[in-house]
Amino acid sequence: MPLLAALAVALCTAMVLVVWSVMGGFLTLLLNSGKSMIGDVSITWPVRGIPHYERLIERLEKDPAVAAATPLVETIGLLGLPGGDTKTVQVLGVEPAGYDRVTGYFARLWWRPLEEPLPRDDKREDPRLTEPAMAKWLEAGKVLRRADLVTGAERPAVVLGIEVARPNNQRTEGGFIQPRWNYMPEEEVTLSVLPLSQRGVAIDTRALRFAVANEFRSGLYDVDANWVIVPLDSLQHMLRLDRAERVREGESARHGGVTRDPTGRESFAAPSVTEIEPARATTVLVKAADGVTANGLRERVAAIYREFAEAEGRGAPPPGAVPIFTWEKKPGLESFIAAVQKETALVLVLFAFISLTAVFLVFAIFWSMISEKTKDIGVLRAIGASRTGVAWLFVRYGLALGIVGSALGGVLAWLVVSNINPIHEWLGRALGIVVWDPSIYYFDQIPTDMELGKAAIVLATGVLSAAVGALIPAARAASMDPVRAIRFE
Amino acid sequence: MSAVIEARNVFKTYRLGRVDVPVLRGASLSVGKGECVAVLGASGSGKSTMLHLLGGLDRPDARRDRGTGTGDQNEGGEVSFEGRSLAGMSAGELDHFRSAQVGFVFQFYHLLPELDVMQNTLIAAMVRWGRLGYTRRAAELRGRARALLERFGLGHRLRHRPVELSGGERQRVAIARALMNSPPVLLADEPTGNLDQKTGSSILDAIMDVRRAEGLTMVLVSHDERVAHRADRVVNLVDGKVA
Repeated sequence: MPLLAALAVALCTAMVLVVWSVMGGFLTLLLNSGKSMIGDVSITWPVRGIPHYERLIERLEKDPAVAAATPLVETIGLLGLPGGDTKTVQVLGVEPAGYDRVTGYFARLWWRPLEEPLPRDDKREDPRLTEPAMAKWLEAGKVLRRADLVTGAERPAVVLGIEVARPNNQRTEGGFIQPRWNYMPEEEVTLSVLPLSQRGVAIDTRALRFAVANEFRSGLYDVDANWVIVPLDSLQHMLRLDRAERVREGESARHGGVTRDPTGRESFAAPSVTEIEPARATTVLVKAADGVTANGLRERVAAIYREFAEAEGRGAPPPGAVPIFTWEKKPGLESFIAAVQKETALVLVLFAFISLTAVFLVFAIFWSMISEKTKDIGVLRAIGASRTGVAWLFVRYGLALGIVGSALGGVLAWLVVSNINPIHEWLGRALGIVVWDPSIYYFDQIPTDMELGKAAIVLATGVLSAAVGALIPAARAASMDPVRAIRFE
Repeated sequence: MSAVIEARNVFKTYRLGRVDVPVLRGASLSVGKGECVAVLGASGSGKSTMLHLLGGLDRPDARRDRGTGTGDQNEGGEVSFEGRSLAGMSAGELDHFRSAQVGFVFQFYHLLPELDVMQNTLIAAMVRWGRLGYTRRAAELRGRARALLERFGLGHRLRHRPVELSGGERQRVAIARALMNSPPVLLADEPTGNLDQKTGSSILDAIMDVRRAEGLTMVLVSHDERVAHRADRVVNLVDGKVA
C-alpha cells in the first residue's frame, strides 16, 4: 500500500513536470521563432522613415555591444497571388546579407537542397531531397533576385512566408511541405503598396510584379502567413523612401530648362538640384553581441541614437519620439507572448490542482495504514514511544515516500520528455494515435524545455505533498489511546 | 517491605457507546521490591485494567466525592512508582517510565510483524534511547538483545519474522523485548493465556528464571492457577475490588 502512495506521487510529479516542460518548450519555440525575424532591438520611425540610416548603422556597428545592424522598410501591402487570390501582407524591404547577419534569415529559407530527410519523413518524400532546382532557389532567396523566366534577365524577387500561399503549400504528416500545384519559386506575384506623404496622406498606389525567389519558415504562424520580403531598394522606391533630388521650381526631374549651344542647337539642361532627400528606412534592426542581453543592448542603442540625432540635428527624428524596443516588446509579438505565457500559467495551475489528488491519495493510504497498524501503534506507546515520536514516525514515512515518489517521477518525466517524439511516433504507428499532427499544428516536433529550476520546484512540491498527506493520519496515530489501540480488533 | 509499585483505591470506568462500564471500584494493590504478585480474577474483573494503570498506560478516574462534588485527579485513586505518583508525571516522564522502568508482556505477544526477532527485541531500546542514543550504544544493545534471546533459546531464530515462529517462541521474544531496557518491574498480562499447557509452563519457567536472575518485581495477571502457584502472593479481583 505505501508503494501505491509513492506511485501516486511519482505519477503526479511526472505529469506536472512533463506538462511544464512541453508548455515551456512550446513557449521557448514561439519566442525563438518570434525573435528570429526581428533581431534583438528595433529602432522604428514608421511612414516617414529614418534618414541617413547608413550613418546610424555605422555608429551602431562600432559599439562593442552590437554584433550587427541592418535597415528595414516595413509597410502593409496587397499581394496578388497566382490564381487570382489577393491577401493583405506585411511587407519587409531588406538588404539580404545584412538582414541575415542580424536575424539568421538565410537559415529560414525553406526551398533548399536537403541531404537528410526530416525526422518524420520515413518515406523520404520531401521534394527538397530530390528536386534539382533547390540550389538555384536557395541562391535566389539569399540575394532576392531571380532570372526572369522569359527574358532571362535578373529582376527583383520576393520571398514569401511559407503559409502565405497556403492552399498551394500543404503541410504533411512527415513535416515537410508538398506544393499542390506548382512550386512558388516558379511563380510571380503582384505587390501593391500605398506610399504616404510626410504628413501621412496617401499619395498614390504603387504596384510591381515580383518573381518569387523562395519561401521562408520562421516557425511563428502569424509571421509565416502574413510576411513577405522584398529588396530594400525596391520597396523604398515603391514607397518613395528612396534617395530623391529636389530641383529648382519650374524644372523637372529630367530636365532643367532648355539650353542653346553656340551653333544654336537646343537641348535640355540637367535640372538644378537644390536639395537631396536621403533614402529612409522605417526600421533599423540590431543584433546583440555575445553575452549582451536584449535589455542591455536597448540601453546602448538608445544612447547611440541620441548621439546620432544630435549630430544630424533636424535631419533625424528626435530621440524622445523614436520608439526603441527589444524584440519581446515588439507590438503584436508582446501581446502574443503574454497570451502564451498566461496559457502556460493556467495549464500549470490546473495540473497542479489535479496533482492535489496525490495529497489526498497519500492521506487515504496513510489513514488506512494507520487503521491497520493500530495495535502496533498501541504497542509502541506501551513500550514508551511518545505521541510526538509516533507522529514523527509517520510524517517521516510520508517524507520518505515523497522523496522516493518524486525521484521516480522526475526520472519518468525526464525519460518521457527526452523521448517524447519517438514515443509519439510509436503511438501513431502502433495505435494510430497522433496528437501532434504537423499538418494541423504548426510544429513538426513536440517542443520540450525541462529546466533544472522547474524540476526542483516540482520535485520539492511532490515531497511536501506526501508529507502533508501524512500529517493528519500521523496526528491520528499520535492521539490514539494505547489501551484501546492494543485491544483494537 | 516498601512498595515499589502501588495502586491505592483506584477507580476506572470505561464508556462503551452510551453506557458507562465500571471496571475498578476502589481497588488497591501494593507490590514490594523483588516480589512476584499474581492477580487473579474472572473475565471482566479488572485485572488487565489494573495492570494498565500500574504500567502508566492508562490513568485512574478522578474520584468524585459526592459530598464536595469535586473531581480533582489527585483525590482518591492513585498509582505510584517508588513513592512518586504517576499522576504528577508529565507526558514525557510517563513515556520514559514505560520505556525504562516497566516491561510489558501481553497475552497476544504484540510483536511488530515487519520486524524480525532481533529487531522486535531492539525496538524497545530504540524507543528508550532515541536515534542518536541508540546509534551510540548500538553494539552494547545488540549484545544484550542477543544474550536475552539466546537465554530464551532463540539464538538461532534471530532473522525470523513473527509469522515464522510458534506461539511460545513469540512470547519469548515479547519477554526479551520487555526486559531489553533492564526495567525493575515486569508486568505480564495473561502471559500463558494463548498457549498450550506445555508451552505455557515453559514460558512461566523462563519468566521465573529471569526474576531470580535479575531480581525483578513482577505483577502477573492471569486466570491460570499455575501462575498463582508460582507467585509469592496472590491477589483476587472481584467486581473491581481486591477481595
